[in-house]
Parts: sequence; C-alpha cells; structure tokens
Amino acid sequence: MATATTGNFRCMMCGHDYTDKVEKGEDRERSCPKCRSNSIRHMKKKAADK
Amino acid sequence: MGPKAIDAGRHPNIELLTYSEVEEVSGYVGNFVATIRKKARYVDHTLCNACEECVKVCPVSKPDEYQMGLSSRRAIYIPFPQAVPCSYILNMDDCLGNNPIACGKCADVCEKKAINYDDEDELVVREVGAVIVAIGLDVYDPTEMDEYGYTRHANVITSMEFERLICAGGPTAGHFVRPSDHERPKRIGFIQCVGSRNPKIGRPYCSNICCMNTIKDTLLLADHYPDTENFVFYQDIRAFGKSFEDMFQRSKETGTRYIRGLPGDVEEDPETGNLVVTVENTTQRGGNGRSGLERYELDMLVLSVGVIPPKDLAKISGMLTLSKTSDGFFMESHPKLKPVDAPTRGVFFAGFCESPKDIKDSVCQAGAASSRAGALLNAGQIQIEAITSRIDEIECKKCGLCAKICPYGAITWQKGEVATVIEAACAGCGSCGATCQFGAITMRHFTDDQLLAQVRAILARKPEDKVFVFACNWCSYAGGDMAGISRIKYSASNRVVRTMCSARVSEDMVLEAFRCGAPVVLVSGCHYADCHYINANRQTVVRVQRLWDKLEKAGVRPERLQLEWISAAEGQKFAKVMNQMEELRKTVTIKEIEHGREALKPKPKKAAKKKEAAATAG
Ligand SMILES: Cc1cc2nc3c(=O)[nH]c(=O)nc-3n(C[C@H](O)[C@H](O)[C@H](O)COP(=O)(O)OP(=O)(O)OC[C@H]3O[C@@H](n4cnc5c(N)ncnc54)[C@H](O)[C@@H]3O)c2cc1C
Ligand SMILES: [Zn+2]
Repeated sequence: MATATTGNFRCMMCGHDYTDKVEKGEDRERSCPKCRSNSIRHMKKKAADK
Repeated sequence: MGPKAIDAGRHPNIELLTYSEVEEVSGYVGNFVATIRKKARYVDHTLCNACEECVKVCPVSKPDEYQMGLSSRRAIYIPFPQAVPCSYILNMDDCLGNNPIACGKCADVCEKKAINYDDEDELVVREVGAVIVAIGLDVYDPTEMDEYGYTRHANVITSMEFERLICAGGPTAGHFVRPSDHERPKRIGFIQCVGSRNPKIGRPYCSNICCMNTIKDTLLLADHYPDTENFVFYQDIRAFGKSFEDMFQRSKETGTRYIRGLPGDVEEDPETGNLVVTVENTTQRGGNGRSGLERYELDMLVLSVGVIPPKDLAKISGMLTLSKTSDGFFMESHPKLKPVDAPTRGVFFAGFCESPKDIKDSVCQAGAASSRAGALLNAGQIQIEAITSRIDEIECKKCGLCAKICPYGAITWQKGEVATVIEAACAGCGSCGATCQFGAITMRHFTDDQLLAQVRAILARKPEDKVFVFACNWCSYAGGDMAGISRIKYSASNRVVRTMCSARVSEDMVLEAFRCGAPVVLVSGCHYADCHYINANRQTVVRVQRLWDKLEKAGVRPERLQLEWISAAEGQKFAKVMNQMEELRKTVTIKEIEHGREALKPKPKKAAKKKEAAATAG
C-alpha cells in the first residue's frame, strides 16, 4: 500500500493554493481544482509560507 | 487449450519451456538475451509415463491450488490435467525432505526410475529477436470487502471457485454442491463488480469479463439444473460483444432475476448455512418514492470477482523497461495505432496483461502480436528515425545520469565508464540530451544549438509582444494543429518551438528564452497517459518545478513559466491556454523583462572565476 502524506500546491495560472495528498512513488497528472491548469507547483515548506 | 499446448510442444520451431521463469533480459530489438530458470521438477519427464503409482504412496496432502483449494493433492502431482508435458512434478516445499531423504516412497515405486531427488534448478540462456509478454491476470481477493463475508460464511464463494465446482474436471467431478453440507444449492445469488469499478478500494476500472461470465454461469445452471433460481445483483450489465446481448436476454428468459443494486450486507443463518442478502433495489420504488430495501435468502452466493494485474508485472516491467497505465496493466505504445506493441522496440503484448479482455480478444491480440514479431524478424533489419542521441566520449563525465533517466534503457553505462547509446533501442525523446549537464549528448536534428538558435531568432525582435511556447511533437503541437483545422480563434501572439518530447526542453532553453526577453514561456506536452516516450514527460515536471524555484530565487515571477498537458485532440484547450498565456503576457512589465534578462545570465563557473581573479591579480 502506498503511504500518503499531504503537500501544499499552488496553481501558477490562477494562484489558487491548496493541499492535496501526496503518495510515495505516485505517478499522477495534477491539475488545479479551480481552473484545471496543469501548472501546479509543489510548494516546499519555506516557499509555501511566502 | 490442452490440445493447443500439446501442438505447440510438438512444433519444430517452438521450444516450450514449462515450469520455468524468465530471470533476466538484456539487449535490444533483434538482439535480446534471456536468462531463464528451469525449475527443478525432481521427476524426469522424458522417463515418466504418468502411471500414478507415486501419487498413491505419497503421504503428503496439500490444498490443490488449481482446484482453488477445494480438493487436495499430493506433494508429487500433475499441476493440472492438461499440463504439458504430462508428467509429475515433486514440490520440494511440500515433500517430507530430500536431504536426507525422509520418505522416498515415490522413488521406491517408480518403475521407470524417473524420480531424481538431486535435481536442481537450471539456468538456460536464449538469444531472441523479439519478446511477447503474455503473463495474464490475477484474480481479486475479496477478503477486504468484509461486508460480503467471504472469509466468514462457508457458502460465499468466488466466481473462480464456482468455475471449479461446475467443471466436469473439478473437485466434485462437476456435481455442483455447496461447501458447508455438500448439498446442491437451489437458490444462488451472484454479486457483480466485487473488486471492480470501486474507487474506494483503489480499483476503479471495469474488469470487462465478469458480467458475461456470470451470464454464462446462469445459463449453465439453467441448463444443468433447471430447478435452480438465480439472482444477479449488479450496478450495470455490460454485454457489448458479439452475441452477448442475446446471451443476456436468454439468461433472463430462463428466469434469472437481475436486481440493480449491490448488497450492503450478507448474513448467515448459522443453522442452515443459508445466506440473507439485503439490497437496495434501485429499479423498484417504494410508496415513499425511495428505492425499496429487499431481502433474499439464498443457499449460495457467488462473488463475481474482478481481475487485477498479474503479480509478476513489476518484475517484467523492470526487465523490459515497460510501464503501466493507471489501472496497473501494461501500457501499449499507442492505444489506437499500436495496441500490441510495447513502447520498447521488439516487445509486444498479448492478452490480459495489457488490459482486461476475454478469451476471444486475447486470442486476437496474440495473433496480432505474433504477426508483428514475425514481420520484424523476417525484415531482418529495422529502420529508425534519425533523431537518436549521440554521446561525445570526450565531453562525457561518466556520471551515468543519462542511463538512469532513459525511459527505454537505451543507454548503457558502468561506473567510471563513458555512457553509450544503443541506437536501435533509442526512440529519440531527448530526455538524456536535456539532462546532461556537460553538453556531452547531441540529439540528432534537435541539437541544443538548433533549438537555442530558434529561441534566439524568435525573440530577436519585439520579444515583449510574444508568448513563447515549447510544444511536443505528438500532442501539444498537434493540439495546435487541431485548433487550426477546427478554425478555433485564439490570440496570435504565440511563437512555437517543436521538440519531440517536452522532456527534450532543457533548463537552459527555458532560461535562454527569458534572457532573450520572453515575457512568458509555456512548456507543453502530452497528458501523462499519452506520453509517447513511456513516461519521459515526468522529467518535464521535475525540471519545471526546479525552474520555478530558480526563477523565484532570481527575483523573477515564477508564474511567467507555465506548464500544460494538451492532447492532439484538445484544440479547444490549446486555444484556451494560448489566450490565458496572452493575458498573462500583458501583466509582465518591461522592467520585469529587463530584470529577468540580467538576473538569469549564466553565472561564470567557479574555476573560470578563479582564473579571472588570478589574471586580474597578476
Ligand atoms: C473467473 C473468470 C472467468 C472467466 N470466464 C471467461 C469466459 O467465460 N469466457 C472468456 O472468454 N473469458 C473468460 N475469462 C477471461 C479469460 O480467463 C482471459 O481472457 C484469458 O485467460 C486471458 O488469457 P491470457 O493468456 O492473457 O492470460 P492467462 O490465461 O492468465 O495466462 C497467462 C499465463 O502466463 C503465466 N505466467 C504469469 N507470469 C509468468 C511469468 N513471470 N513467467 C512465465 N509465465 C508466467 C501464467 O501462469 C498463465 O499460465 C474469465 C476470467 C476469470 C477470472
Ligand atoms: Zn488554477
């Protein structure tokens, strides 16, 4: 079973910030839940705080 | 199947290696080398005449895997009645022991002296030109769906167990009885989609064969035992193959009741062993307008279990650099145009391991796969596009990164050695070229120099008015074509550079676009499931993430770089993205562009800096 944690993401198209689950070794296409853009930045802790 | 396997065993051009497993495959199209483990049988099949004397004296009793544990076998046994060769094997894990010999009864009675306790596994090597992967399926284990009580109630069985129970060659010689009391069940329920179309347990896909299998089973029951009453609990019945709808109608005509709804709960009457199923029948409305809750008392319940990817899939994937689709089955080279080719040249798929399918479709695919392999071998040579990668032996710093990231395993490398490209295996995605930090890899016809020259030429004049786009050949560029031929209007500011794969776009190419004054840059490629280079576009994601960090660090708004997956059919999406990019472009000021030009200039390397410092000091 894959182990899941959560991660912070930011849509680089519309600016929407959200959290989503991140599975170890996952292979999944991400898209913004708000605008469907694929420009999804996985925010590291520091960057997310900005 | 039995006669086919015997024919195959006798064919002069077929070497059948049964009770064997492929351990390793190296090489490439036309030149594969397979290492195969022939497992020790402890019985010489050339001497054994299957007289059964050994079975009679073997004191061991184990559940028979072939009969789904519904009957037992000895430690020495024939795995299944149609096995080729028709001879015994001795399972050493079950045997009382061969070193020292603990029992030895089978060898004592074997007149042919076929039993050899000293037998060992043998590794054999075969050179082959093509590989067909046909490792089939595994069946879903319904233990986790405890609501159906598979492990708690004796008379809840799976469809696989049903197959054995109704089969003339099965544990009860085809006398259909239920496990708890060996009585013939008269009221039989079938629950569909157990382990299929259920995202909650991570199995969202349809297993394809279960509806028709159940319909077939109800017809079998109606034929053998006309007094049985059958109940099928389903969410949809999918009967779209040739004559399938006709079978479905016939099943209903025999009196089988189809109840739309999956039971929430199964209880057992401890006295009778009967099962009580509660289900919300969504086709019946009660007086209050809501679906009616119904209860059924049944003698036996069959869980129509779904199918799952075979357990060896990951191992075989590793050997042949294959990948899988989101449902876990093997991914083909192209879902419509190359459905039996693997992305790795010279490898083909047949049957269930590529996607759930019935016997007819498996046989079709097997025919197609062998034809494809035959055509390849008969041609004697292959033509590849002149877009493969080339490694400069002098520039290569022997880091091996290219070999690690090549989706095709087309680059060989050993520690301390220069990497080399197997051209016949290289598909030309360019991931290696974009990854190499030392400029040691050249992609033919998509060289760094050529691509950078395009970037510079496009942005030579009025860069601030342009939306700069990298588009992959197969999907996003074709998506642009689709927008064009569909006459979809979108902003005219975009300028596109085509690469074979989005993974060909190096960090430096993106940075160069910003240095040349691009206000915004889009990197676009195929959707995950459509990547034409197995999974090369995952590297695009990694690279773009790194670039966002770099841009931010340099004080450049990271949003100026965008990433989109656009398929060849998504002309609408292409147009939408171009319009969004144009809106984004308008927000970028000249000051920002100028800052980007400066801030993203390549930093002189440490060694060069030192040299420079020494020169000034001198
Ligand atoms: C319960 C049930 C009922 C079904 N009923 C029907 C039906 O009525 N009609 C119908 O058309 N279809 C039916 N099917 C589907 C049918 O079983 C498949 O279509 C068919 O078996 C697919 O053939 P295959 O050769 O791809 O796979 P398989 O039949 O699974 O054969 C794959 C073979 O590869 C071997 N193998 C696996 N890994 C390795 C390895 N690493 N090295 C060497 N060998 C390996 C396996 O041992 C197996 O012998 C049913 C399936 C199930 C589960
Ligand atoms: Zn968004």
